[in-house]
Amino acid sequence: MSEPAIWISALCTLAIYSFLYRDNPVYRAAEQILVGLSVGYLVVITVRSTLIPRVWTPATDGNPWAFVAAALVLLMWTRLHPKAGWLSRLPLALVVGAGAGLSIPALLKARVTSQMAAVLTPTPDFNTFVGALGVITTLAYFHFTRPRTGVFDGVARVGTWYLMIFFGATFGFTIMSRISLLLGRSEFLLGTWLGILP
Amino acid sequence: MKLPALDRRALYVLLFLAVALPLLFPIGLVGSVSKSTRQFHRLIESLQPGDVILISFDCEAASWAEIGPVARAVILHAMKRDLRIVGTSFLSEGTALGYRLLSELATEHGKSYGEDWAYLGFRPQYVAAMLGLGESIIREYPKDYLEQPAESLPIFAGVQSYRQIKLVISIADDSMPQYWVEYAGGRHGVPIAAGLSAVMLTTFTPYLDSHQLVGLVSGLKGAAEYEQLLGVTGAGTRGMDAQSSAHLAIIVLVVVGNAIYFRGRRKS
Repeated sequence: MSEPAIWISALCTLAIYSFLYRDNPVYRAAEQILVGLSVGYLVVITVRSTLIPRVWTPATDGNPWAFVAAALVLLMWTRLHPKAGWLSRLPLALVVGAGAGLSIPALLKARVTSQMAAVLTPTPDFNTFVGALGVITTLAYFHFTRPRTGVFDGVARVGTWYLMIFFGATFGFTIMSRISLLLGRSEFLLGTWLGILP
Repeated sequence: MKLPALDRRALYVLLFLAVALPLLFPIGLVGSVSKSTRQFHRLIESLQPGDVILISFDCEAASWAEIGPVARAVILHAMKRDLRIVGTSFLSEGTALGYRLLSELATEHGKSYGEDWAYLGFRPQYVAAMLGLGESIIREYPKDYLEQPAESLPIFAGVQSYRQIKLVISIADDSMPQYWVEYAGGRHGVPIAAGLSAVMLTTFTPYLDSHQLVGLVSGLKGAAEYEQLLGVTGAGTRGMDAQSSAHLAIIVLVVVGNAIYFRGRRKS
């Protein structure tokens, strides 16, 4: 990174961290800059990498499909007009229909059948048993159409413990992630910016 | 002053010190290598020099401090193994970060653009792009990140789609590897591995157990483990002292906080 870039980055980091003391105009300015830059970058990169090579260039080359794509894009913008807004349902219907058609079988395979196959392995070990018990008891916990009494209540309680362990592990990893981010910024401020790290 | 009345900002200072002091005075803690990181390492080792892998930088700048060391370690290993790397990204901020990292490491290791590595850049509709890559890479990405025609790059000679790609690695801070599994792994059978932020580990471990992911490295700890296997010292290894001391500080604070709470409850 060049020297001015390091200074800008360091000052922006300090501006964001100043919120830890209290909300202030410097923090809010840095936050707005971040949001503006992110959106601006997204727009520029989308136009450069998608709209120009995938729509504009084929259209100028006379590819009819590019005009269909461009027409569908323009129809989406009709939402802004109260009377012509219904036209936006055409491209939306296409997106929803194609999206559902593509995602339902893929999702069922990856998130349901393959996971079930992993639990119902022909060569079970202790981990498989723990996993299978977790699946059954957690599903029991989310079975709300039956009163929680007797054995069913006991099974659901085991499911609660599984959920608590999952939440605890996820929260622990979240803390680990956030500390890593603080570490990254600290390393940048103390090392790259101030140059005091060994 | 009583401890419950302590200003929360004092805790922020304490946490900063817990992170900063080990950076200034390193201890050099070494941890063990997890099974999943070892599996990922073995996977890269099993590939042959010249094999093509696809690395997707599906992350935002905010999490780069954690994801960057993971990506660096994996790419370093791939380059040492002389694998050819094709980069892409489905999140805008990851695009520039991925290109910067790849070009920096390629320069360090004398890899030439177009032959040893190429960068395809950003696509906003990731499902369409993942499916498109299964049909034709050149059709999905007519131009690379540098706006050169992709078909003019020698790396794509004989590489048409997933069929010629040995491994897809998603460097992600969110759920993108799930879509890679569903649309690239599930439909086209290409092996998928993931370099994740630690917070996503519990979500993706079941995918590793069900063999839908063939490798998984997560968080700064995972990066440190990978660096240990490579025999290099990077940001992951350097961060382990600070990470450990920060965790210790948090554990102490949680214990002290709970002790004060229960003592107060008993008194009342």
